[in-house]
Amino acid sequence: MKPILEVKNLKMYYNTRSGYVKAADDVSFVLNEGEAMGLVGESGCGKTTTSMAIMRLLAENAEIISGHIYFKGKDLLKLSEEEMNKVRWAGISMIFQAAMNSLNPVYRVGDQIIEAIVTHEPNVTFEEARERVASLYKLVGLDPKRMDNYPHEYSGGMKQRAVIAMSLSCNPDIIIADEPTTALDVIVQDMILKEMSRIQKKLNMSMIYISHDIAVIAEVAEKIGIMYAGKLVELSDSVTIFKKPAHPYTVGLMSSFPSIKGEKKELVTIPGEPPNLLNAPDSCRFAPRCPFATKECWEKEPPYEEIEPNHFLACFHPQNLRKQVSEYARG
Amino acid sequence: MIKYIGNRLAQILILLVIYVAVVFFLLHSMPGGIEAVLATNPNLTPAARESILKAFGLTQPLPVQFVLYLKNIFTFNLGISYSFYPTPVWTIIARRLPRTILLFTTATLIAFFVGFASGKSLAWKRGKTSEYVSTVVGVIAYTVFTPLLIFTLIWFFGSYLGIFPLNQFLNPDLWIRTNLNAQTIFLYLLLTISLIGLAMLASFAIAQKVSHRVKTRKIIFYISTAIAIALAVFWWAVSPVGIYGFDILWHMILPVMAVTIISYAGTMLVMRDSMLETIKEDFITTARAKGLPDKVVRDKHAARTAMLPVITNFVLSMGFVVSGGVITETLFSWPGMGMTLLDSVLAKDYPLASGALIFTGIFVLFAHLVIDIVYAFLDPRIRY
Repeated sequence: MKPILEVKNLKMYYNTRSGYVKAADDVSFVLNEGEAMGLVGESGCGKTTTSMAIMRLLAENAEIISGHIYFKGKDLLKLSEEEMNKVRWAGISMIFQAAMNSLNPVYRVGDQIIEAIVTHEPNVTFEEARERVASLYKLVGLDPKRMDNYPHEYSGGMKQRAVIAMSLSCNPDIIIADEPTTALDVIVQDMILKEMSRIQKKLNMSMIYISHDIAVIAEVAEKIGIMYAGKLVELSDSVTIFKKPAHPYTVGLMSSFPSIKGEKKELVTIPGEPPNLLNAPDSCRFAPRCPFATKECWEKEPPYEEIEPNHFLACFHPQNLRKQVSEYARG
Repeated sequence: MIKYIGNRLAQILILLVIYVAVVFFLLHSMPGGIEAVLATNPNLTPAARESILKAFGLTQPLPVQFVLYLKNIFTFNLGISYSFYPTPVWTIIARRLPRTILLFTTATLIAFFVGFASGKSLAWKRGKTSEYVSTVVGVIAYTVFTPLLIFTLIWFFGSYLGIFPLNQFLNPDLWIRTNLNAQTIFLYLLLTISLIGLAMLASFAIAQKVSHRVKTRKIIFYISTAIAIALAVFWWAVSPVGIYGFDILWHMILPVMAVTIISYAGTMLVMRDSMLETIKEDFITTARAKGLPDKVVRDKHAARTAMLPVITNFVLSMGFVVSGGVITETLFSWPGMGMTLLDSVLAKDYPLASGALIFTGIFVLFAHLVIDIVYAFLDPRIRY
């Protein structure tokens, strides 16, 4: 498997009047060709920031302090804006958090997809682009006739499908799906996710799913990264993450979602809330909420290391915690 | 759509009747009036005064006068002006309305486009020094006392630099040597400018139909506009009356400049705010993520959507055009509707004053209708 995207020690801070907000701190991961990866974490833990940094669509006060993002061997952080524009959509495309609002209300949906195609492939005529949009519509399960409608004439699920069709329009190598189904009801959510997974396998693309719902990610991703307070705390294939999670936060995340099949058990919440990332301390950021925190955790930052092949972790106490956590919650 | 326009026309008719009633009774409730003017004239015998009042129908009770007036309006009879006796009001308005329309439509359109373009780039350059400077200049232009601005302009361009005429509609020294009618030349000018406007609209529509590429569309639009303007300039340059047309245009520059400066800032500030709102929208991030060039994101996605509230503001400003017109036209001695309105009210010339008010009212009502129809084309979410 060849790596297609390599994020190395990415540090992205927001420069605010009261100091730096460490939104993404030392994030590293590798995405291989044809692989689907998930990024999971609570709101405000840096998932979206990381994906926006990959696309280089950051707010004006965002500063990339250090790190590299290699896409097909090129460091995206060193490209000029024009070169970056060529990578956007044709190389890496995105499905945004609020798909509902990511279509411009005054243009026809089809035209907005065609716009992306003709921008990146100037040789494609308008008619050819239209045909491609029609076939994309069929692929995502939309009626091609609807491409001449305006966004307000679509239902929520249809808009979501149209946005997916748009993300596929320039045959990108990677699609970043940022909470692609959060705004939809559970049934449509499931349908759309399965559809996306099917298309991804069919076209052999790489995919990054971002969600706060580890159960959703588990369905579609082969590899899962857990983010907490701007840091990647655990990264491994989804089987390992589920069978033997090593970070207390991962365990907490999994215990806070019900499972339909397995044994009946009490849902466990993680006490407390994520820390303020403004001038975040150089200790383990999960320590205040962690039942197993020791003196060491409060003093030093745990290194992000490979504890076994393809299993990365940033914790001083790697162990099988699942049982301990649930016991702790009961007692 | 046709049904909607029909409904709106019916509404306009009802509004117009109400408006005429308000104008009529308001003017007649002013103290003084033509009776007082006649009564204080020592050269008139009571019998002569009585016969004059009778001839104008002023001896009848006010409600009867109103019904008669309303009836006459629908036969395009607005009465006879007292101060320009015996010229009918209709004739005076027909001569002066085009002058106001040309002056203010030109200025309002220029102000709209300047305000739109500058508001757009201001929002895009948020936080830079140029943004602060332009915003402050805009607020000053928006709030400045109109006569002060106009006198400054007249002093600077007319007196200090001496490149533009101080006031008036034309230069009498030039026109005294010819027996041409200034009104005819002016109407030809108005016709030429309207034709250029129509040609621009048509080429815009054709460009939209012919090509899907923005570049080709722009080329078609600019070339045909240039051809239309070149043809018009050529016709006027060759024709023997060209110099007279040029004279009128020359007199128009300062008033147009004044009205533009007063009204561009409103558009600019609203556009800036609207753009700043729109930039935060998710579809702008999508447009950026699609790898569209910065200019395309700004013009095609942000500005196009941000434009809608600006159009609303533009419609509302149409009303102020009328009130601002009184000051501007009077200070520039531009013989249009604003000046007519002021002069006729001061002279207690009720027929002319109400005629002028009714026509500005009709103008504003129809402007609203036109903008409402345009809105349906600009915003696909609006359907009538």
